[in-house]
Formats: sequence, structure tokens, C-alpha cells
Amino acid sequence: MENIQSQSYQNRYYKPISSLTKSAMDIDISAPSNSEPQVELLAALMLKVANQRDRAAFGYLFTYFMPKIRAFGLQRLNQQGLAMDLVQETMTSVWTKAHLYNADKGSVATWVFTIMRNQCFDMLRRVQHNKEDAFGDDIWPLCDTVAMNQETQIDHKFTAKLLKHLDDLPLAQRQVVQGIYMQELTQQELADALEVPIGTIKSRLRLGLEKLKSFLETPND
Amino acid sequence: MIKHHPDQDLLFAHAKGELSLSMAIAISAHCALCEACKTAVAQYTQEAADLAFNQHEIDDTTADNIDISANDISLMQSALPDELQTMLAQILCQPELATAPSNEPILVSVKNQHYSVPSVFRQHLDRPWQQLGKVSRMRFTLNEMNTRASLLHIEALGEIPQHTHKGNELTLLLAGEFSDINGNYVPGDFIMLDGHTKHAPKTLKGCLCYIVLDAPLHFTKGLSKLLNPIGELIY
Ligand SMILES: [Zn+2]
Repeated sequence: MENIQSQSYQNRYYKPISSLTKSAMDIDISAPSNSEPQVELLAALMLKVANQRDRAAFGYLFTYFMPKIRAFGLQRLNQQGLAMDLVQETMTSVWTKAHLYNADKGSVATWVFTIMRNQCFDMLRRVQHNKEDAFGDDIWPLCDTVAMNQETQIDHKFTAKLLKHLDDLPLAQRQVVQGIYMQELTQQELADALEVPIGTIKSRLRLGLEKLKSFLETPND
Repeated sequence: MIKHHPDQDLLFAHAKGELSLSMAIAISAHCALCEACKTAVAQYTQEAADLAFNQHEIDDTTADNIDISANDISLMQSALPDELQTMLAQILCQPELATAPSNEPILVSVKNQHYSVPSVFRQHLDRPWQQLGKVSRMRFTLNEMNTRASLLHIEALGEIPQHTHKGNELTLLLAGEFSDINGNYVPGDFIMLDGHTKHAPKTLKGCLCYIVLDAPLHFTKGLSKLLNPIGELIY
């Protein structure tokens, strides 16, 4: 499925790209693309981008990854215009999310690949299903916060246990507990919604939670 | 302990981004619950990155097989054609994103039970629950032809009538427990059944599963005509 926008991209980008690869050959550098020093150099550049928003360092990264992303895009998306969209989307994320890069977790190439694959996944669904959804970063999170660590699980289990008794609370307390734990509202948002002072929210929450805990302590639960 | 894992081919395909949305969600959710598979996917992602970035010359026919390893980073930006200079300039105008995405598990409530599920389900939980006795289902809208993906909740002491499937059925247990003739399952267990396996899952304490179905269910016990519509409804 082709759309008009991609067609115009195709015209705009098709020639310049082949001229780029030719000029790349003219400049020619002999370093093999996989060498250790290169991996370290990419990491150093990425850190400069992450820590100082260094534009020149990003320019190098852009020049290095652009043809690789484009080639991947051509394979998966089968269209010049879409491949260049993939370059733009991917490198934009590399720039705007640079601070999420964690050198301990992997190489720059792997990180850029991750962003590119996620973006490509969403673009493919866009082409195939005409869906403007963005699921790639949910499926493959870019930064590795706790992957459901023990603490969160226990915490959630406890919360879940507590919430079982929600219906036994008086309405005023139930509204507050429900708002905070199930609708994830802030105390201020709740105060506004219920038109009461925030102090009232705090005390209702405290009373509600105390009552829920007392239910847990009752034997024969 | 989780005993049932996706096989290695599936994990590698996932790292490469080659699975459909319904299956990618399943693997992602399994990895949020299974440290071993999470580590394996990280390893496969590195391999996939190497594959994608180092062999593209071979498939890149438009580049006339020019050796693109020449595009070393010391290739100066000034060599970029105008169109790419423009793209670069546009990107550099973008501000840093202030917020980091959250991978915190999400609370799901059904029939007054509360469960936490991996964050990958974040954008899919706005569908209504359909209830039939002890079984509740939330069907996702993933737009994948015949494939159907849903959350399935079975209340304590509930069961699903014995049935087989036309296509493969994937069950990922997210919370609680259930058992069938093959044994007991714990959260994280990733159970793939083909069209020949009969099963009748039961749960003592209740459970929440993510189910992916290729084809409608076909019940095999005597009341099949009566039960088939239920099968359609359940999943
Ligand atoms: Zn596993």
C-alpha cells in the first residue's frame, strides 16, 4: 500500500541517496565497520550527545547510522520514502531520548537498533492496517526500569488484597482510595473533583487505608 | 518456578521484531515475568543488531553493492546531500524528551479481584469485560485477521469445558494458578497448544491469562453444539 506522501518522499530522496553512497566511497576510510575502537568511539559520541546535547557528535552518529537504517527500512518496508521516514523517526528518537541510553546495558548500535525496530514495527502496522498506533516502545521498553521486581509485585499483591475490601468502606473513603489506587489520580485532582479541601482527602485516605488494614488483620478472612 | 517458556526461535524472531502484535505482546509479557527469557532476548537483540547493521550491503541493491563499511564515522557531515542536511537540522531542533516512559506493572480489576499485569498491556485495557458465569473475557482489538487476543479471567473454582482448537492456542498465565491434565501452572507460564490437544483448564483460586487464538474453539464433549457458541464468547 503506497500513499501519496511516501511517493513524494521517494522522489525527493531517491537520487541524493545513491549520490551519498558514491561520495562515501570517494572519501573512503579503511577502518572495518566492526572494530573494537569503533564501538568505543560510538559510545563516547553517544555520551556526548546524552550529557551535553553535543550537536557535532550527533552529526557523526547520524552520518554513521543513516545508511544502515535506510537499508534496514528498505528490506522491511520495501519503499524508499518509508525507509527515509524510518531514518528520520529513528534518529529523532536517538536525539530526543539520548539521556535514556545506558552504556552498561549494551552498545550504541544495539540501542539504535532497538529504537529503529520499535519504530519500524509501528510503521509496518501503519502501512498494513492503516493504524496510527504506537506499540513498539511498549513491547520493547527503551529503558529498563524494574521488570516487575519482587518489591513491586509484593506491593501490588498487598494493594490488591487491600482493595478486595473496598466495598466495605464508607462511600467517602472508598471514593478517595479508589481514585488514588485505581484511577491513579493525585490528591489534588481528587480534591478538585470532589470539591473538598486537600486536607480532607488526606484524612479520608488515611482512615480508609487504616480500615482496610484492619480488615486484613481480622482472622477467618 | 516457571516451567513453560517460548522456544528460542520465537525469542529470536521477537528480538528481530518479526512477530505479529498479538505474539509480540505475549513474549514481552512473558519476559517481564521471566528473567531467563528476558536475558535471552537481550542477547538476541544484540545479535539482531549486528545482523541488521553489518550485512545490509548484501541486500541493498539500490546501493549497487558499494561497500558501505566505507561510511565510517569520520565521513564528514559536509558530504551529506542537502536533503539529509535538512533532515539533520530538523532533528537537532527537537528538544530532549522530559519524561521517561514507565514500565511499572498495571493494575487490572475484574469481578472485584485485582491483579497486576506487565506494562505492555497498557494501551489495550480499555475494552469492556464480557462475563459468562465464572469466566470473563476482554477481547483486544489488534486487527490481525483471524487471530484473536484477549485477557481471560476465571474465578475461583471455575473451569472451561474440554475443547480442542483448530489452530494454535497460546495461554500466558499472568496471575493466579490453573491446572489441566498436564499439571499446574504458575504466573509466567507460556503454554502453546496445537490443534490436536484437548484440554480443560480448571482453577482453584482464580486466574488471569492472556490468550491468543488462531482459530475459533471447537469443543469436543457431547454438548458441542450447545457449547460452541460459549467457546466463541469465552475467547
Ligand atoms: Zn521464560
